[in-house]
Amino acid sequence: MSEQNIIEMNQISKNYERKIALSSLSFVVEKGELIALIGPSGAGKTTLLNLLATILKPDGGELIIDGQPIQQYSDQKKRAKKIGIIRQQFDLVGQLAVIHNVLAGRLADWGFFKSFLSLFIPQEKQAATLALERVGLPDKLFERTSNLSGGEQQRVALARLLMQKPEIVLADEPVASLDPARAEDILNMLTKLAKEEQQTVIASLHSVEYARKYFTRLIALKNGELFFDLPADQVTDKQLQELYQLKELN
Amino acid sequence: MFSFDLHKRKILTVFLLLLFMWSLFGVHWQEGVMHSSGIGTAMEIFAAMFTPDLSLDILYLAAESSWLTIAYATAGMSLALVLALIIGILASGVLASGKHSRSFMKGSFRGVLGFMRAIHELVWAWLFVASFGLSPYAAIFALAIPYGGILGRIFADMINDVPEEPIQALRAAGASRLQCLFYGYLPSVKNSMISYTMYRYECAIRSSAIMSFVGLGGLGYQIQLSLDDLQYNEVWTFLYFLIIIVVFIDGWSNMLRRRMAQ
Amino acid sequence: MKKRKFTFLTFSFYAFLLLIVASWYFVIGVKNASLAELFSKENMAYATKFFKGLFGVGQEDVAFMNRDSWSHAFKLTIETLQMSIMAIGFSTIVMFLTVIPASRNVADGTMTLSRKWYRWIVFGLIRISYVFSRAIPELVWAMIVIFIFKPGILPGAIALALHNFGILGKLCAEVIEDTDSRPIRNLASAGAGRAQILMYGVFPTVLPQFLTYILYRWEVIMRTTIVVGFVGAGGLGQEFKLSMSFFHYTEITLLLICYLILVIIADYISEKSRFFVK
Repeated sequence: MSEQNIIEMNQISKNYERKIALSSLSFVVEKGELIALIGPSGAGKTTLLNLLATILKPDGGELIIDGQPIQQYSDQKKRAKKIGIIRQQFDLVGQLAVIHNVLAGRLADWGFFKSFLSLFIPQEKQAATLALERVGLPDKLFERTSNLSGGEQQRVALARLLMQKPEIVLADEPVASLDPARAEDILNMLTKLAKEEQQTVIASLHSVEYARKYFTRLIALKNGELFFDLPADQVTDKQLQELYQLKELN
Repeated sequence: MFSFDLHKRKILTVFLLLLFMWSLFGVHWQEGVMHSSGIGTAMEIFAAMFTPDLSLDILYLAAESSWLTIAYATAGMSLALVLALIIGILASGVLASGKHSRSFMKGSFRGVLGFMRAIHELVWAWLFVASFGLSPYAAIFALAIPYGGILGRIFADMINDVPEEPIQALRAAGASRLQCLFYGYLPSVKNSMISYTMYRYECAIRSSAIMSFVGLGGLGYQIQLSLDDLQYNEVWTFLYFLIIIVVFIDGWSNMLRRRMAQ
Repeated sequence: MKKRKFTFLTFSFYAFLLLIVASWYFVIGVKNASLAELFSKENMAYATKFFKGLFGVGQEDVAFMNRDSWSHAFKLTIETLQMSIMAIGFSTIVMFLTVIPASRNVADGTMTLSRKWYRWIVFGLIRISYVFSRAIPELVWAMIVIFIFKPGILPGAIALALHNFGILGKLCAEVIEDTDSRPIRNLASAGAGRAQILMYGVFPTVLPQFLTYILYRWEVIMRTTIVVGFVGAGGLGQEFKLSMSFFHYTEITLLLICYLILVIIADYISEKSRFFVK
């Protein structure tokens, strides 16, 4: 129970009607770690992330975030300051201008009138511009979000996270719909920004290559159970093969 | 810097708001808008909603008028369908041989359809009654013409929206224009046509109900009579019959649409 | 399963066929409506007289040649336009107030991420009011409203609005039901409260389609203004009825022309506004 632990999972289990999604999952996360969540489809990665995001409640076990049990985070605004999420797609409201989607990261702090006013006269424009510059989209401030490409939209989602400034960033297959070049671009940016902002990242990925390349620790799930939990450089190919039951192509 | 694209809608909204406020000036608010007993009457009418007149002769009258309404609506709609199919197909231009004759056909028949639908069915009804006297045909034609126009225009649009490729394939196989129509266009739009016709049929029932204003009988006529007699309970009985019929047709058409989409 | 579907469709088909045959039989057989009678000599003579009257043949005081009548008609046209705008304005206001609780995905909590039991009751009540509103024709609403309000364009606008808010409400609720809830739920995960989710997530997404429906209903309302005028609700329609009772047929032609112009303009504006909505 060290002060450094930002997440503690203790025997977490989650069931759906006929299926056990997660069973007796336990691990701890220190502040600032970059973790990749891997495993075959249906292993429970998304369920785990949704539990961490407090969208789902665990059926058993306890989950402690920054020293407080998960029940203390029922207030959405409090939770948003701690945990941010980026998903595969459909994060952003297509009809809004990019700047409004970015500024939406500040909604947890803004009251009703400021939020309303901002739709006509963007508030905190400088901060938003800075965020967009850091993700490499300085000139897209007033474009309609749906006009941007997939990779650009994910970058806007990253910019929104910059405005939100959560301590933990959860990423659910953030690059699954992007081509390799864009995917590496986003993962690079995600991990770089996280280091700059001193955030903890847990990202689920289906590519083990990316996991090894950009993250320092790999947690593997299979059938809802912890398969292994190792630093990235200690994971062997044999373990990965077993995890995915990949057949060698020879 | 501000892209016009993004602010188009805000401009439109502001413009519409201003337009709305301008419209309010048309009312002479100072002179008082309600009758002195206005609120009282409103309450009475509203309260009567819960106590419709369920006596046997009123129920019989309601049923009779309902049938009248339905019969006129159905007859009118069936005629409208025939008109719509003929003029609509012509207006889509798919039977035209060349580019010029096609645009001519499209333009002129669309114009005809536009004229048919521009005039409200009640105005048509009045025109027919004033010129030909009180006859059920006045109601039927008065329904058939505008509805034929509406259906025809939508049918023409649907036909125009059919993708070109399958039709060209048929042409390449040697089909004449008429054959293209039956083998290519109509099968694709058949479902949408039926679906839209059902939707309009519901509207036709309502229109038929108000044909009464030209003295042709039906639910609307009875409602008017009862209103004039201040018999609000009777009014609500007739209204309930109307609502039930409309909801029934609406439900039926929804079910049909869902079955057809499968 | 397939057999069931087949049976329902064919059943419907035959039911409608039966209905059509029954209706025509009723009209021709029972009511003895005769097409021949329609075109009888007397009727044709009368009809000819009527049409001559409309076009002002052989009359001294032809309304549509008269400058005063044109300016009078113009004033009425403007009033009718105002009536239609008021009507769509009232409908839109009521729609905005009721549309969110009337959507299924708000009632069952998927949109707002919270479940409250009373939401279904509110949903049901609003939807029933929509049904009442749509099922009762504008004219019937007008007949009722004229008992409460003095003649003018206000009762006309109210009657039209009473009929249309149900239609608009249902169409717009369906738009909300069809929106992708994912970006909206994502706003919640960024920390947005309920009102903020509405402002940033729901409205920007549904507004384009709402505007399309509002413009479409305005077009329809434009056509119906003449009808509510019949019962005393002002504008061109009321004048129409007056001219009818006085047998001033040329005035009627004049009013009809103005009416047609209005309808055409409304159609045109509605078309052009689509560009702004896109």
